[in-house]
Amino acid sequence: MSTAILEMKHISKRFDMTQALDDVSLDLYPGEIHALVGENGAGKSTLIKITTGVYRPDQGEILFDSKPVQINNSQEAQALGIAAIYQEPMIYPDLNVAENIFISHQDRGPIVRWGKMYKDAEAILAKLDVKLDVRMAARGLTLAAQQAVEIAKAISLNVRVLIMDEPTASLSAHEVAQLFTLVRSLRSQGVAILFIGHRLEEVLSVTDRVTVLRDGKRISSRLREEVTIEKVIRDMVGREVSDFFSKGPANRGELLMSVRNLGKKDVFQGITFDAYRGEVLGFAGLIGSHRTDVGLALFGVEPADSGEILIEGKPCKIRSPQEALRLGIAYSTEDRRKLGLNMPMSITSNISLAMLSRYLNRLGLIQRRAEVATAEEFRRRLTIRSSSITTAVEQLSGGNQQKVMLSKWLNADPKLLILDEPTRGIDVGAKAEVHHMINDLAAQGMAVILISSDLPEVLAMSDRLVVMREGRQMGVFDHADATEEKVMTAAMGQVTIQQEVAR
Amino acid sequence: MNTLVRRFRPEQIRELFLVFLILVIVVFFSVQIEGYFNARFANRLSTSVVVVAILAVGQTLVFLTRNFDLSVGSIVGVTAYLVGQTLWHHPEIPPLGAVALAIGIGMLMGSINGLLVAYGRVPSIITTIATLAIYRSFLVEYSHAVPITTNNLPDWIVELPAGKLFAVGQVEFRVLFALLLLVVVVFQLVLNRLPFGRRLYAIGSNPDAARVAGFPAQRIVFTAFLLSGGLAGLAGFVFLSRFGNISVLAGVGLEFASIAAVVVGGVSNNGGSGTVFGAFLGALLIDLLENSLFRWQAISEFWRDAILGMLILLAVAIDHVVIGRLRIAWARAGLQMTTKEPDEQTEEVTHVG
Repeated sequence: MSTAILEMKHISKRFDMTQALDDVSLDLYPGEIHALVGENGAGKSTLIKITTGVYRPDQGEILFDSKPVQINNSQEAQALGIAAIYQEPMIYPDLNVAENIFISHQDRGPIVRWGKMYKDAEAILAKLDVKLDVRMAARGLTLAAQQAVEIAKAISLNVRVLIMDEPTASLSAHEVAQLFTLVRSLRSQGVAILFIGHRLEEVLSVTDRVTVLRDGKRISSRLREEVTIEKVIRDMVGREVSDFFSKGPANRGELLMSVRNLGKKDVFQGITFDAYRGEVLGFAGLIGSHRTDVGLALFGVEPADSGEILIEGKPCKIRSPQEALRLGIAYSTEDRRKLGLNMPMSITSNISLAMLSRYLNRLGLIQRRAEVATAEEFRRRLTIRSSSITTAVEQLSGGNQQKVMLSKWLNADPKLLILDEPTRGIDVGAKAEVHHMINDLAAQGMAVILISSDLPEVLAMSDRLVVMREGRQMGVFDHADATEEKVMTAAMGQVTIQQEVAR
Repeated sequence: MNTLVRRFRPEQIRELFLVFLILVIVVFFSVQIEGYFNARFANRLSTSVVVVAILAVGQTLVFLTRNFDLSVGSIVGVTAYLVGQTLWHHPEIPPLGAVALAIGIGMLMGSINGLLVAYGRVPSIITTIATLAIYRSFLVEYSHAVPITTNNLPDWIVELPAGKLFAVGQVEFRVLFALLLLVVVVFQLVLNRLPFGRRLYAIGSNPDAARVAGFPAQRIVFTAFLLSGGLAGLAGFVFLSRFGNISVLAGVGLEFASIAAVVVGGVSNNGGSGTVFGAFLGALLIDLLENSLFRWQAISEFWRDAILGMLILLAVAIDHVVIGRLRIAWARAGLQMTTKEPDEQTEEVTHVG
């Protein structure tokens, strides 16, 4: 094989508490498709962002064309000939196809020659065997076509390393096939392609080499011929589960919520499960599986448009968070900063916010004392560590913020608590505390839905586990049944295990 | 249908609609008011529209990048005063020199806006509200509230608004209107034919992508504000020439008039779409309506602003509903063309390759 175009040597990168990359090395050769796979949080994105100049590595070096380089921003990456295409294409909807291809070019003269631009754009698309009207506004293009435009743009910039970050996540099977034809033609033109994907069958069908990352480390890097899907999955998940909370058998209470064939057009469909008091129902799936959208639908933020929801046997419609709260459903969001907490406000105000009407006196004013009493109670109960309850939540650590958010929803006395990524971005100690809390809540008779991309966590915590993939329910596993391999297999869509819904 | 779709883009349909609306207004008031549309009215209109229309051109550049320039009214006031004062003390300065001075003063103020917005990352609404107040206060302080009057100015500038290049019957083609048309044509070309212009659209269309796209997005936003300031300076010169009497209140409220013109003219407040020609039509439409309502006795003057307000809401509603649909329809039609006629496409492509 010829010499590598891009060599990443012993790259390490740390963010606060997490070692995102730990001594990872990766070579890319001209004319090869190199797949990078791993679970959520394995370090793929960080590695890409280092390659495109968004982050700089703490340690290690990058060689481009055998020469050491520093990539400080995306312009520098582009100048070297490194381009990236993301799941959501970076397209300018108001400009037409040809303009989108050439907008970043600095060498096309002082005046826009529309005729020449259209011709050049057509020539590039023809080279890729893509049929598109170059005069058409990008707004109306399908995602697949937008990606084709991005690839055309990359080619027009003489790209030598093309990074594709889950480009197939939102494409149909037919579009994927078209994309792969494109990718192969790029390979034959000597471009090195780093391909990140979640659907393993698909990835293995196109790639020449596979590198597996897990927990920021490189686990393996092998030629396509040497691996099987099973081997790759084993490399991806093989990890100790010991430091996770091990769960005792739950005391299943009465049936609280039944969901039948819940769907939302173009987002998810066929979601069917039962949630019982005293149980933790887990939702697992990779990015793009639309787990969170199910949570948002159950809480009325983005209501579902088909299927039924029965609460305690009664059918009901949940069209807004207010209605959900009235029905006894609370939802703690995955995005604390954006949707969950009012960062500059105090702990007290955040906790009382969802239930403010409870603290009003006869004149409709807020009774400070009652508000404070509640906040103090939760601070004790959940051991929120802060100097006082008047502290602004933005000054708290991630774990304590999480506890404030939990307090906010527990204060609503929900029958069903939906927790979306309750341990994302918090340290190990706080994580264990949150796990204990979830278990306590269930033991007290609450029904808990736990949505998490942390597979070992959701495996350990859930009495039953719903696995989703691309908006579809791939199966429901009992705690005893659910192994990492089985769940990953379902989440990646190797085999469609449609088990009967556990009753 | 396909050829129709290909020939007209949604923006152009919108511009045709504005022209149509202007005609409707003219016809409506011709029925309502006796002797409504005569040469004198046309001449008056062609003079009164110039200031706002020039401002609207500059506002368009800024709007395309998803920003506002609220300081243009104050820039008009400051330039009109400074240029007026300079001409008062140095009447020997030639007309072109005065124009250059006005543009220079405007660009200076525009560059302050641009620096703060593009490089300081201060939101434009905050920046330009602040500079709106600062430039105005500067004018009050600097002028000691001494107004400039027509008597202080050299004759050429006072007579400029009535100056004509030629006349058809009694309808005159006036110098200031010619200046406006020149500005419109030049900037229409800038937006269409210069990389700078196309990148204004790109930035407003997807700011996140523009940040990592490998072209100097910050410098382009800066330049948009610089040019908006320069055009406001030019408008200040026209203002001076048209009114002659410049107090500290000169140009107050013009920022809103310019934004109204731009919005009615179909420039999206989300950036990325709109044309200079549309903004010009928007300014013309508003000016026509204002002047017509002024002469229409059936309606009290208190309702005039309300009608203009409703027009703006209507324009935005049309933009969101009708133009939005048209865009989608247009895009779909384009898709069908590419998928339905593969033979023709390949032919075309091979012919090119």
